[in-house]
Amino acid sequence: MTGPSPIDDKRLRFDNFGDNDLFSKKPRLPAMGWNSWNAFGSGNTEELTKAMIMKIKELELDKLGYTYVVLDDGCYRPGRVNGHLQADDVKFPSGFKAMADLVHTQGLKFGMYNDIGTKLCSGAEVGIYGFEKTDCEDYIKWEIDFIKVDNCYYMWDNATFANPENAKYSYAPNIKSIAVGGRIYDAAEAVITGTRASVKDGYVTSIGTFDGTAPDHSPSGLRSSELIFDVEAAEDGMEDMHVTYATGAEEGVGQWLQIAAEDNIIFDSLLPATGSPEDFETSQSIPVNLKKGINKIRIMNHRRQENTLHSYTEIRRELENAGDRDIVFSICEWGKTQPQNWGHKVGDSWRILNDITFQVGSDGDHGTASWESDYTTSITSQYNKAVIMDKYAGLGKGWNDPDMLVIGMNGIDMTMYLSHMAMWCMMNSPLMLGLDLRRVNKGDDIYNIISNKELIALDQDPLGVQAKRIFSTAGSSEPDKEYIRDNKRIDILAKPLANGDIALGFFNLDQVIRDDDISTDIDTILKALDNKAVSTDALKKAASFMVKDLITGVVYETPERTFNSGTLAACGCKVIRISPVT
Amino acid sequence: MTTEEFISELCGAAGMEFDGVFERGRKEGWLEAGDVLFKDRPIKRRDAARILHMYLLKVMKTEDLDINGAKELHDLYDCRICANHIAQVYLRGIMDAKDIKRGGGFLIFDPDGEDSDDANTDFIRRLISLTADR
Repeated sequence: MTGPSPIDDKRLRFDNFGDNDLFSKKPRLPAMGWNSWNAFGSGNTEELTKAMIMKIKELELDKLGYTYVVLDDGCYRPGRVNGHLQADDVKFPSGFKAMADLVHTQGLKFGMYNDIGTKLCSGAEVGIYGFEKTDCEDYIKWEIDFIKVDNCYYMWDNATFANPENAKYSYAPNIKSIAVGGRIYDAAEAVITGTRASVKDGYVTSIGTFDGTAPDHSPSGLRSSELIFDVEAAEDGMEDMHVTYATGAEEGVGQWLQIAAEDNIIFDSLLPATGSPEDFETSQSIPVNLKKGINKIRIMNHRRQENTLHSYTEIRRELENAGDRDIVFSICEWGKTQPQNWGHKVGDSWRILNDITFQVGSDGDHGTASWESDYTTSITSQYNKAVIMDKYAGLGKGWNDPDMLVIGMNGIDMTMYLSHMAMWCMMNSPLMLGLDLRRVNKGDDIYNIISNKELIALDQDPLGVQAKRIFSTAGSSEPDKEYIRDNKRIDILAKPLANGDIALGFFNLDQVIRDDDISTDIDTILKALDNKAVSTDALKKAASFMVKDLITGVVYETPERTFNSGTLAACGCKVIRISPVT
Repeated sequence: MTTEEFISELCGAAGMEFDGVFERGRKEGWLEAGDVLFKDRPIKRRDAARILHMYLLKVMKTEDLDINGAKELHDLYDCRICANHIAQVYLRGIMDAKDIKRGGGFLIFDPDGEDSDDANTDFIRRLISLTADR
């Protein structure tokens, strides 16, 4: 393991992230099912999984769309046997194929878990790195329908449990200048794209990509920085270029440098290490082919994103051998490498942050979740980021994944459960139940929330357009783009639906009752949706509207073109479906 | 101290039979397959935290504490799988944090670190004295 693979396929390059050209992807709606992690953590077993399958059938959750049964971390023997994965013989004594068969005989779909690194997050030494072909052959033999792939112990980034010094692959060195054609160009005078890099003491640092694992950074806009020099050449021809640089192995300063002349990459490798991040040296000669006139020389490192995409692509490529078997590919790199930029090329969904809870349950303990936290571990932390990521999601692209549902866990109440469900449905998030289903009975409060057909229909609406935030009482001028983390507010989300209706959600994120009674009107909604509504004309010309409250079930017709939130309970919501009456 | 030695110490302190403890612990859900497969390896702090926490949960039937108090550990959320284990043993005073800033004030748990035999023995002693008080 000497370093990340060369990237010979241009489709994996940053410049081509926008192209959807790697695989022939089936347009699919967000996956729905049950995942073992939030319910049982590493303590999931065959017996527990069987009990969940039986409850899915008893509650008829499969008829509502919850069809995937996914075994998360903790299910494998922690070492390979003759190079192959094997089930933990105490937890899953019958093995994975038997588990898959059981799931399939119940008309459900079977999901598993792995990791692009050398180990799983649990520490089990069965990460898929180097075993992509073998493992995917086994997964196909086991007839999986879904795979979630994590990012611990990753070799080429400072991911969880990876060597922190792997950051050397993720960032360019600090750059003081380049010399080309007999002229020196100061980095401090060059153009910096994006907001990640900055000038410090006469050099440029942090040339690379924001780490999106924690909730600190917005997902909007350019999430990486390059340093661009305008190099003038008197005539066409080769020149020697030298870079004055200083290396590190930490977030913000690395050792891997990419250089492109316009869009041609001319260097993509580690530079020799310097004494410290402020100990500058001059590189060996790097030949560059210049054209007469101004040449844009790009100093960059997009490897954080490119390496991760490459690793997921290696797996996806092997899964293509499944033939007609349709396998959902769930990317779980926690938003670290801004997967909203590249996830659509390879995956069906991509996690946007670290976990929604770190206090998962076990048999007899529901685990604990939160409405609000200063890290990723809450419903609102996940929502606040996902709600401004609608432009990245869609049919044929994939879905933003704000993590599995925490409905049923301790620490949050029924109002929060309901808003959580409604948020996830409005945002076209995968709906993975994460509770011990043995506590649920038909008709009880939790059942009524997770089985709300009207909300699920929003998530699974065939138009496949994630709701857009069109207003926030936080006062944003760009509510669909601005990253708002202060939860003392109400948001309005609008979502166009395939039959021409509009779903409208009012979400009180505040932990106190709010009687603001905010409103929006049909013209504002249509303008904000920017022609994504199917029946814009019908909505504009409607003489009245049928309005259905998707939580209370109340239906009424109104000539009013304005829709109000009314009083919202603490952490409460109101979600309505608006149909034009012509 | 290896994982096996750690578990042996725990058995001794808790008055449990060591013979058959791996099978028993796995069935009861407080030991993992890795504890058996890699029993000869030096035990990492996160594995010590996991075993002690799961012993509290599964054997002593102790309820978890709210983990917010452990947020002062700067590396708490580095580990999706062990954050709760770490928080529970830290908040109960079973395992200590490490202060890595000169002058103090920057606490980490160092989940991938290893402790001396004496320190590991002391963690077990603290766990047993906690449960003995109940």
